[in-house]
Amino acid sequence: MSDAAILNLVLFLPLVGIGLLIAAPADDPVFVRRTTLGVTLLQLALTAWLYARFDPHVAGLQFETRIPWIPTWGVYYQIGLDGYNVLLVLLTALLGPLVVAGAFTAIQKDVKLFYAMVLAVQLAMLGTFVAQDLFLFYFFWETMLIPMFLLIGIWGGERRIYATIKFVLYTAFGSILMLAAVIYLVWSLQQTTGITSFAFADLVKSRLPLDVQMILLAAFALAFAIKVPMVPLHTWLPDAHVEAPTAGSVILAGVMLKMGTYGFMKLGFPLFPDATREFTPVLTSLAVLSIVYGACLALVQDDIKKIIAYSSISHLGYVMLGLLSLDVIGVQGAVIQMVSHGLVAGGLFLMVGMIYERCHTRELRAYGGLAKLLPVYSVFFMVLTLASVGLPTTSGFTGEFLVLLGAFRAAWVPHLAGAQLPLVLAALAVSGVVLGALYMLRFALTFLYGGSKAPHQPLADLGARERAILAVIVAAVFALGVFPAEPMAKTELAAQSYRQLVATSRLPAATVATKQMTGAPR
Amino acid sequence: MNMNAVLLAMLPEHVLLLGIVVIVALAIVGRDRSGALAVAFASVAVAALAALRLAADGYAAAPFAGQFSVDPSSLLVKGMVLALALPVLLMARDDFEGVEFPALLLSSLYGVCLLQSADGFATLFLGLELMSLPVYVLVLLADRRPQSAEAALKYLVLGGTATATFLMGASLLYGASGSLGSDAFARAVGAGDGLSRAAVVLIVLAFFLKAAIVPFHAWAPDAYEGASVPVTAYMATIVKAGVLLAVVRLFGKAQVSSPLLEILAALPLVSIVWGNLAAMRQPTLRRMIAYSSIAHAGYLFYALLGDGAGRLQAVAFYLLAYALMNLLAFGALPASPDDATRDRLDNLKGLFHRSPFAALVLGVAMLSLAGIPPFPGFVAKFLIFRNVIAAGHTTYAVLGLVGSYLGIYFYLRVIQFMFMSPDAAVADVRPAPLARIATAGCLAAALAVMVFPGWVIARL
Repeated sequence: MSDAAILNLVLFLPLVGIGLLIAAPADDPVFVRRTTLGVTLLQLALTAWLYARFDPHVAGLQFETRIPWIPTWGVYYQIGLDGYNVLLVLLTALLGPLVVAGAFTAIQKDVKLFYAMVLAVQLAMLGTFVAQDLFLFYFFWETMLIPMFLLIGIWGGERRIYATIKFVLYTAFGSILMLAAVIYLVWSLQQTTGITSFAFADLVKSRLPLDVQMILLAAFALAFAIKVPMVPLHTWLPDAHVEAPTAGSVILAGVMLKMGTYGFMKLGFPLFPDATREFTPVLTSLAVLSIVYGACLALVQDDIKKIIAYSSISHLGYVMLGLLSLDVIGVQGAVIQMVSHGLVAGGLFLMVGMIYERCHTRELRAYGGLAKLLPVYSVFFMVLTLASVGLPTTSGFTGEFLVLLGAFRAAWVPHLAGAQLPLVLAALAVSGVVLGALYMLRFALTFLYGGSKAPHQPLADLGARERAILAVIVAAVFALGVFPAEPMAKTELAAQSYRQLVATSRLPAATVATKQMTGAPR
Repeated sequence: MNMNAVLLAMLPEHVLLLGIVVIVALAIVGRDRSGALAVAFASVAVAALAALRLAADGYAAAPFAGQFSVDPSSLLVKGMVLALALPVLLMARDDFEGVEFPALLLSSLYGVCLLQSADGFATLFLGLELMSLPVYVLVLLADRRPQSAEAALKYLVLGGTATATFLMGASLLYGASGSLGSDAFARAVGAGDGLSRAAVVLIVLAFFLKAAIVPFHAWAPDAYEGASVPVTAYMATIVKAGVLLAVVRLFGKAQVSSPLLEILAALPLVSIVWGNLAAMRQPTLRRMIAYSSIAHAGYLFYALLGDGAGRLQAVAFYLLAYALMNLLAFGALPASPDDATRDRLDNLKGLFHRSPFAALVLGVAMLSLAGIPPFPGFVAKFLIFRNVIAAGHTTYAVLGLVGSYLGIYFYLRVIQFMFMSPDAAVADVRPAPLARIATAGCLAAALAVMVFPGWVIARL
């Protein structure tokens, strides 16, 4: 089987899984759980194979499939791996079996539907990452809402209905304006070049006047910024995270938030380079605001899920900062930070779920001294805490360090030229690291140390299944922290092409000429 | 007049007529009345196949020049609409005994078919009335409820108003142009004189009334609620399709310009917004679908803002997706001995635990009507708004899309009831076997459209 066929198989394995679940006997949750785990493990194995086969020295798409889908509109079913998505696809496939295994005991209601929805969301997320056609991308992007709506709404906490409807209405609003922008973009490409195509490769050839670029980028950015989420569009996130079941939180924090930053990297910024440069000060300010504001909010939360939810806002602010730096190192750092956050926040949400299953509360003050009560749990928790803080040798360090390095490198030239804003923003972003240490250590100190207390005692420490799940995450966290060179190499060409695309002006030919004559900066 | 052309070009209509004759004969002989529905089903199926076959052969003819003509695209649309009527007949098995329902339905379908071939206002009028008159009676047929009579009367009065408006417009058009052909209408759309403008506006308003565009929508919720479920399904799908396809055929390739443009954009836009907002507060599925159909009529009229060539394709694809989803929703609705309370949304609470398949199918229908991918409603919406933007009306397109966003909530609310609420204390009756076959057929068709939208679009 060719590698391209394997990629298709990876994408559609969840459908096979859903088919198996439908055929499964109605009252056999054990079979349902094992089947789903098997499917996601197979998916992971195939993805790992593709990752190993991915050649870092090839620019552009690998393992590509391109089949006409709606030929009269120029819509193709086009998927493939490139430096932009390869790590995120691996992350999604890695979290899949962990989410499935993590829910073995927690989910007892409508088990079949639950796992079918987990598989469906897995399909939609992988589809969004591997799509190389804007129509296909949007198709998967929106499809994702449905299983997530059900996951939060059926298996969530007390205010689950409020949270899930808020989640859908927020994200759908961003998407609807993006849809208008997508249609307009494709139409104007047809008008100016005669090509009717939704392929990313064709769309980055579009030439649009600055004002049009700015409106379109605003529409795309709204959709993506809601998903990231960037302050001030973040208010759906705490509700969704708190009310979602553990699996939902892990999927949300682990992968779905990266849809937003991936969207900016793959589409938003490269499609509208001139508008991006116009918006960079605003967007960078919002990114830094997200870093600092998210961290401040995390500092004062009493709900342990909310702490991690707000820390996600802060950590994804770094990703945006790295992408906006337009520095190859910064962009690579942003990708690493995405993966790192997926692992660490995913892991922390899994751990919160594990303690919640035992004690049934998320009040931080209800806990204390878990280090004595649950030694194994505490070790894993401390490792993930330190990774979240960004201690060297963990993935968090690699990501944040590279992003900040890139931000400072990018700020240096304007600084010498007399523009101080980028440097000030980069400096402010560093404060997020300190705040991150504060809120995570406050969390860990209250949680693990001090007088032993927990709502239910005695507590059973982690079982073999839970240890295995966390061991995988911790191993990945260290791997990314200690050997970052290998994954970074796979993203390098993509980071360069991203920088190239965003740095090159694509105003219509006539406008460029007049600008050059009047001496405006390119 | 070539008799062969008359026979062949009107083959679908002839088959329907034959069906009506057989059903009436059965009624007179009066032995086995339950056969009437089977006869109706067979004749609709044969008519649909005949239309599709002729379309596939690329058949075109004008047996009555200036009044009635067929070409592959009109035959294809005819075949599509006829095929969509099949599930309605299957669904009606339990609700209607006797010959009234099948005979009336076939007559109405005859009118729908005429509309797809009308080249002049005489045929158009004939088609519209032939389509509508049986439906007034069909609404009344759910005679166990007093609301049905009220609903039928309301529908009849407002339908009569639409007819009057239509005739007024047609006579003004004749005064302005001296012709009653569709091409005269197309010319009047572009003309600037007052008489032509008044004629066009009156005719458009008549269609707005028939399609339930705000502010001419008030009859729809009552009529939809007063009718029994299969008749509601018929009104929401086939009648709506008949009206919209007739409008598109009438406009032809005429380019819409101001001030007609503003009317054709503003009222449908208000429909989208108001339909979606009002649907949020409806207690029954039929009323909700009525408001939803008001909003969908808005999207469909939006297609007229697009360029002439793509209109029929956009509207036909939209109607296909939209009708399949309505049929799915009504087909999957649990049966009940009491038709009046059968579709209360409160009764749907916890449906997933009682009958998971019905809940999933209803869920798919709701999501598709909301235009959320992967379901066909998304591609349909995309197609309409793509044409509107391509014609340069970006602002209207954005407003329409934002209006469509307002609709997401009430569709999700149904899903919330079915999947996330505690069980309602009702004992569902499984839909009859034939209704389940109808549902399965619609589901298969919907999935096919979902996976191969390109194939369908290329043929429309």
